[in-house]
Amino acid sequence: MELDKDNANPTILNPSDLPSRRRESSVKKREDGGTGLFDALVPSYTYLSDPFEPSVSSCDSDDDSVEDIDELEIYDLISSISDPEHPLSLGSLAVVNLPDIHIYPPTSPHSKISTVVVEITPTITHCSLATVIGLGVRVRLEQALPPRFRVDVRVKKGTHSTDEAVNKQLGDKERVAAALENDTLMDVIRRMHATCE
Amino acid sequence: MSDIQRYLLDYDRNKQEATAVAQQSAKRLENGELKLLTLIGELGEYLNSEDATVRSRTVGYLAEVLAAVPQKVLSLQQRNLLCDFVLSRIEDRGSLGSCARALIALEERGKWENERVTKIMESLLEDTHPLSQYKLQSERYPVLRLIDMMMAKYRDALRNLHDSSPDFMSKFILYFDGEKDPRNLMIVFAILKVPMTEWSIGADAQLLFDAVFNYFPITFRPRPEDPYGITAQDLKDRLRECIASTPDFAPYAFPALLDKLDSTSMNTKRDVLQAITATASEYGHQTMSLYSITLWDALKFEILNVQEEDLAEEALNGLAAIAKTLSQGTAGPFEAYLRPIMKECNEHLEDAPTKQSQASARILSKIADVSAGVCNTLLSGILPHLLRLFQTADTIAKRRGLLEVMVQMIRANIHVYGDWRSIGTAGEHPPVNTLIQFKDQALEVMLNGLETAPVKEVSFRMVCLDGLLRLAQVRELLSDEDIGRIIELFHSIVIHEESYGKDEVKEAAISGLVDIAHQKPSLVVDKAFPAFMAQLPDSDSDGSKGYVQILEAFAKLASEERVFDTVIVRLKNKFHTAVKQNASRTYIVALLSAILYALNANIGKVEQAPGATLYYQDIVLPLLRMASGTEGERPKAFEDERTLDLVGRICNVILRYQSVELQSQISPELYTLFKGVPQDRVPPFNSSTPPEQTKTMVVSTHLLASFRKETALPCEVQVLISSLVDFSQQTYISSPVRSASLRQISLLFNKYIPTPSLRTCMEPLINPPVDLFSTEKLDPSRIRIIFACLRALLLRNSPSLSSLYPRLLSFLSHPTQGATVARGFATLLQPDDLLTKQNHCQISGLHKQKSFALLVPSITQSFREASPEMKPNYLIALSGILKWIPFEVVVEEVVQLAPLLLQSLDLRGEDLVKEAAIGTLTSIVQESPKAVEGHAGALIARLLDNSTPSPSRNAPMAAAGVTESTTTPARVRAMALVCLTLVAQKFRQEIVLPYRKQVVKMLTGALDDKKREVRSAAVKCRTTWIVIDEPGDDD
Repeated sequence: MELDKDNANPTILNPSDLPSRRRESSVKKREDGGTGLFDALVPSYTYLSDPFEPSVSSCDSDDDSVEDIDELEIYDLISSISDPEHPLSLGSLAVVNLPDIHIYPPTSPHSKISTVVVEITPTITHCSLATVIGLGVRVRLEQALPPRFRVDVRVKKGTHSTDEAVNKQLGDKERVAAALENDTLMDVIRRMHATCE
Repeated sequence: MSDIQRYLLDYDRNKQEATAVAQQSAKRLENGELKLLTLIGELGEYLNSEDATVRSRTVGYLAEVLAAVPQKVLSLQQRNLLCDFVLSRIEDRGSLGSCARALIALEERGKWENERVTKIMESLLEDTHPLSQYKLQSERYPVLRLIDMMMAKYRDALRNLHDSSPDFMSKFILYFDGEKDPRNLMIVFAILKVPMTEWSIGADAQLLFDAVFNYFPITFRPRPEDPYGITAQDLKDRLRECIASTPDFAPYAFPALLDKLDSTSMNTKRDVLQAITATASEYGHQTMSLYSITLWDALKFEILNVQEEDLAEEALNGLAAIAKTLSQGTAGPFEAYLRPIMKECNEHLEDAPTKQSQASARILSKIADVSAGVCNTLLSGILPHLLRLFQTADTIAKRRGLLEVMVQMIRANIHVYGDWRSIGTAGEHPPVNTLIQFKDQALEVMLNGLETAPVKEVSFRMVCLDGLLRLAQVRELLSDEDIGRIIELFHSIVIHEESYGKDEVKEAAISGLVDIAHQKPSLVVDKAFPAFMAQLPDSDSDGSKGYVQILEAFAKLASEERVFDTVIVRLKNKFHTAVKQNASRTYIVALLSAILYALNANIGKVEQAPGATLYYQDIVLPLLRMASGTEGERPKAFEDERTLDLVGRICNVILRYQSVELQSQISPELYTLFKGVPQDRVPPFNSSTPPEQTKTMVVSTHLLASFRKETALPCEVQVLISSLVDFSQQTYISSPVRSASLRQISLLFNKYIPTPSLRTCMEPLINPPVDLFSTEKLDPSRIRIIFACLRALLLRNSPSLSSLYPRLLSFLSHPTQGATVARGFATLLQPDDLLTKQNHCQISGLHKQKSFALLVPSITQSFREASPEMKPNYLIALSGILKWIPFEVVVEEVVQLAPLLLQSLDLRGEDLVKEAAIGTLTSIVQESPKAVEGHAGALIARLLDNSTPSPSRNAPMAAAGVTESTTTPARVRAMALVCLTLVAQKFRQEIVLPYRKQVVKMLTGALDDKKREVRSAAVKCRTTWIVIDEPGDDD
């Protein structure tokens, strides 16, 4: 019996209530309000389209539109990280929440550096693993975002008994770098990331 | 030399010869050449030998002789004498195994008296106790078999021995103490199970229990080349049967098992839980009532704090087994067991939704599943509390958590009480369902929740919807009026609700309606159908598109066979009204699509429809008349090929399973479509028809596709083919009509050419005047005809392919038409919706393999010899073939193909070719990475190159007519990244490691791609590459 967990009975959110773009992309809204149920009746390779005439559809017509990296995309990157204690995602435990993710554009016109701020909410105020979770989120974002983003992960104010100390740890470049040299710690983080999609 | 001498001599040299000697002795005994007394006399000297091995082998000889002697050769007196003789030898340590075998042989030759059995048993316990003093498994094994045999055949004798001598039992149990060999243990467990289940064991219960439980948990692991075929599972099963064999074990079993439940080993816990489930089912309700609460207290932890899913599952089985056993007894203990369970679950409900409230739902529904009695007790113990909590709940999340528990209990209720169409486990006359007391409240709560909760509360509304659906299913629970309310709410969600998110609720509502239609078809037809119909306009002159989602939903209802016919009839009527009202083409197409979808949704019902009835008269004929314009003017919508295509498909679905007779009625009208004009005035026979009148060819194609081979054509097949060949080359016809005509050529070649003429069937086209394969006359429309013919022939694996394919391949270097021919290869093997088995076509199972073998090696060969400007044509042709070939076939040629595929990645502007090449490379990396590991550097560089919009290197090859400025499209970029991810996962570490740094660095570019799809692939790819050198990532 693993009774040594900090919080053995956390509240769980239903995955379908969580925001995500990952699932949306599969069902694009259609103009006629339908779901495209009847589209499959006539296969795409139907004989009515002539393969000998160079097809127009092969080049993506919407290739010019730019899809910027936004808060929801950041959320999708980190919400599927596993909690080190429970076999549940940080999203469904509400450790990371969409409203607590902010992207700040470059401060001056000469700079290209944008900043991503993620505030995490530990499931209970004395959670001893808050630092590890924060580190996991930070490493994930540093691996997944282009270098023009600066990543800032912190514990949300008032949600942890020692939030100042934890934030100091997470913000200290040297200490983060030292932590990443620690094999045991990296092993934990790798297991947290194993569920990322 | 006596037989025994020869036996002993042979024994060391060759065991088989020794056995032959024993068999000869047996033969001589049988025909009287050898007297038994002589035989025994000859043994004397060796039985008294100083050498223990000699003594043992001598008895072994006797056992072998006895086993070989036929029945009835030995008299009763002789057998008795032999028994006494053998029994006197068991004291001789080395001879025990042989003695046991001799005794078994003797027993097989004549039944023993009970005294004899008693004597043997006593001698064994007296002289050889404990058995473990004999070190060789081969010595102990025959003894165990002997005891097992006596236990099976002389159970009374042994039982009397137990009843008459008080110390027998303990001696008997300890006799087997210390056995370790799995083969022997299997027998020991079987032997001991007899006293456990059948004898009164009284004071010896603990000793007997310990004798088997000492082996718990079984940790035996068979050797790799296990010669005996005994698995750990066999031992576990027998041991578990022993533990569960008698309730007398309960005082020892439960404390011991629960103690082991605290083990850290998952395997041990699994064995414990399985043993508890077994005991709960076997020990009976009186015993179980003493331990039920203790067990609940222990088992609940496995479910409330799941360690491994299957352990939780097994713990649930245990709890259910206890409930089942107790429900066979009196009410007191039964309720005493359920009370703490309900109390605990009610407590967990207080702070729903949590892990433990979810676990409570599992517990309750699993136990409720056991019987009507349990189900009712739990419902009256849980639901009042649950509903009270629901009323006072302050968040929607909590309400959802509570309803989830209730819905699970309703599901269990359906299992016990059945649904409207089938009875449940409680049988035909179950006790009154307690759910009746709560149905009104449950119904109100969930109707209200689904109706009034904000649309963004998806999961809450989904639970309400699921709950309502389950309530409607419970046998004889809700009145038709109540179910009607549920139906109304469902269809109003489908019809009126604003779309939100993924529209999960709408989806669920419509499939809920299908489920209810399965239970109560007439209610759905009466309530929901009019509502749907009212939303479908007769004409869409106002231009609104709101009908699309209504049609989709309505068509889905056709999947329930009990309302299928009504759906079809309503759709058909609506279609006719819309045509009369001159509705737009879009609306007509939508209605036809809905009809086709509905027909496909219940295809079985269409197939079984008898002959020329319903669907043919009501749907096919009117549609054909409308298409040809027989009845007055042709509706505007029917002037479009897409509409006509749908008309053709609907007719095809209905006609293809009809009889030859019925099909032959239509075939004369294949091209005239009941228009009442002679056939030679319509296409393809008349090639000067006005273009708009050629469009019915699209319908004719589908009719031709539906015909059986035996159905007569309207004219001779060769005439028809050459008419179609001419017609398809007309320049004034539209592209769909041309494609339709070509497809008819394919259908004719595939279905109507008998096998004997297959080799020569192309001759009329190849020879002048048509001269189809002439290099000079080659043009796009001829190329189309060539591919149409080949497509039909390759599906039949026609022998003519081996001469036709080379001529086709030679066209790839054609100075002007080479590129067109190359594109055609993509059509050869692509899946086809007309040339199918359902349409009575001949499809050979191995046609892809055959064409691959005929085409691909020649392409790789010619590619090497081709001039640089022609090379792209070969790559395009290759990708067209590979696109549709299953990977198992491709894998044979990987080594030859890899260089071509890599070069395809350098093509500019041929995005589809690139896609196909990356697709094939991805499969290769996935399935046989070794084959391309040699190209790792080239592959990685090209994939990286294709992962960004603008290529970094100069393009060595550009397909004809493509400007250099083209960029790599997002789809190709994403595919390249997926393939690159696989490279890191599948190639050996030492191969990819040198590239790691460069790849990880280069990928930062793709991380900033402007397309989300590409970025997401890049993230996955980069994280995979980052961890390749770290230990433990392959666990």
